[in-house]
Amino acid sequence: MIDPGEQEPEAAELVRPYVITDGRVLPEDDRFSLITLVTASADHEQRMARLSPEKRAVLELCGGGYLSVAEIAGHMRLPVGVVKILLSDLADGGYLVTRAPAPRATLVDRQLLQEVLDGLQARFG
Amino acid sequence: MTQYIQDPAVWGLAVGAPLAVTAIVRGRRTAKRLRKEQSELRAHYAGLEHQYSASVEDAKLRAEEETKSALKAAMRTLQGLAGEQQLVISKLQGKYGESAILQDLMEIDHMNSQFGRRAQSIAVLCDGWLGRQRAVASVYDVVRSAKGRIRHFKRVEIRSQTGFAIVSRAVEPIAVALAELLDNATSYSAPETMIEINIRSVPKGVCIIIDDAGVGMNEEEKERATGLLSGQRSSGVAGLGNPPQFGFAVIGVLAAQYGFNVSVDSTSPYGGVRAVVLLPDDLLTSMPEAKEPPVAAAPAPAPGPHAGGPEPTAPLATTTGGLPKRRRRGAMAIVPDPAGGETGGTPHRSQEETASIMGAFQRGTRSGRAVPTTDAADPGNPSHANSEGHGVQ
Repeated sequence: MIDPGEQEPEAAELVRPYVITDGRVLPEDDRFSLITLVTASADHEQRMARLSPEKRAVLELCGGGYLSVAEIAGHMRLPVGVVKILLSDLADGGYLVTRAPAPRATLVDRQLLQEVLDGLQARFG
Repeated sequence: MTQYIQDPAVWGLAVGAPLAVTAIVRGRRTAKRLRKEQSELRAHYAGLEHQYSASVEDAKLRAEEETKSALKAAMRTLQGLAGEQQLVISKLQGKYGESAILQDLMEIDHMNSQFGRRAQSIAVLCDGWLGRQRAVASVYDVVRSAKGRIRHFKRVEIRSQTGFAIVSRAVEPIAVALAELLDNATSYSAPETMIEINIRSVPKGVCIIIDDAGVGMNEEEKERATGLLSGQRSSGVAGLGNPPQFGFAVIGVLAAQYGFNVSVDSTSPYGGVRAVVLLPDDLLTSMPEAKEPPVAAAPAPAPGPHAGGPEPTAPLATTTGGLPKRRRRGAMAIVPDPAGGETGGTPHRSQEETASIMGAFQRGTRSGRAVPTTDAADPGNPSHANSEGHGVQ
């Protein structure tokens, strides 16, 4: 305050992540993965007044449709874990609807692919 | 009469009287001289005493100044280190955001913030450096920042928000002052009680009201606090007592320097202390509309990683922050739609279905190769782009 002219390195964020989460720990149940999709529930807008700015920003982000947890974390510039805590709070409060990612693993059927490959090779190879 | 002349007593008297008179006169003279000497001595002594106390005062001031400048330099180093460490912790939190380490990193961050604040408080008393100037921040964020700088921050509950923001030069000082108040509030109340913060706008500015459920203060303590808070009685580093009580002294200096007002002389509804911080209009500004946007606008190229997916073709709706709102269709591309299971649903196909899809694909490629390449030069055609990346049937 005395010598403001000096050059300083950039300061970190004013509100630290542990304050944003209010010191809460991520619940153990693995409800949110990076590709879990979330969207705001239909009636979220009526009840937003008491939410923290970060939670409101999350709801605003995913109000237009489903967004993945990773995308929200990217837009919010917050650590993924912090976003997960916020999301889990919001989901508990009924502000959010989550949707588990499609079970992609079932798509990878090696045998089927092999058959297709064989078929294609027999046909064109 | 003659018989008296014979009396030796009369003779004695006659001789004794002048002697006595002389003795008395001499005694008086001596007493006078002594008195004079005494008063001279007294004056001299007073002069000496005055000189002495002046030089002691002088030495004290000089020592205080020297202590201050030494402490100031030391604190500056510590503050710099705390700031650097905070940046490193921030980076790590981003890097390990997904792992369990994040929790530990946040704890370290918390301790680092407390450490930084302690150094700042001492610096304030030494007329030192308070840290880098911050950007304009909402009153709510400044209160939250203050909350993060004390140990038992989970006991602090902020019950209201306002649309006001604090001008950049006052962000850090107000945060430090609030942190000191919150530190007092949590220290002098039972660990299971909550500290409540309300933010109210009043005709003179904005009030931040901190209520604790502690034991309160007696009249003497209140008087001392009021003296320190008004900034009239600056105790400096030396007058902090043992153990040192920084709180009110720090707040008093900051309040006087930045022109806000702090009072602690009322009682909270819970029987503890009610501290009221009144921020005058000239420390306030309107809420920066771009509070979220700078956060959001900067990563505008963020959709980059998804560029391989469906490209937006129509002008997108944007959030108030200027972010493109994702349209439902695009975002749901990889999710089976429960209503019409047809669109984009890749999983759960029966083998026959898959075979027929492959057949269609094969027929398509064959017919495509058969047709002369007239339209092929336009891969950016929106109708093509729209369908790529989706499961098409």
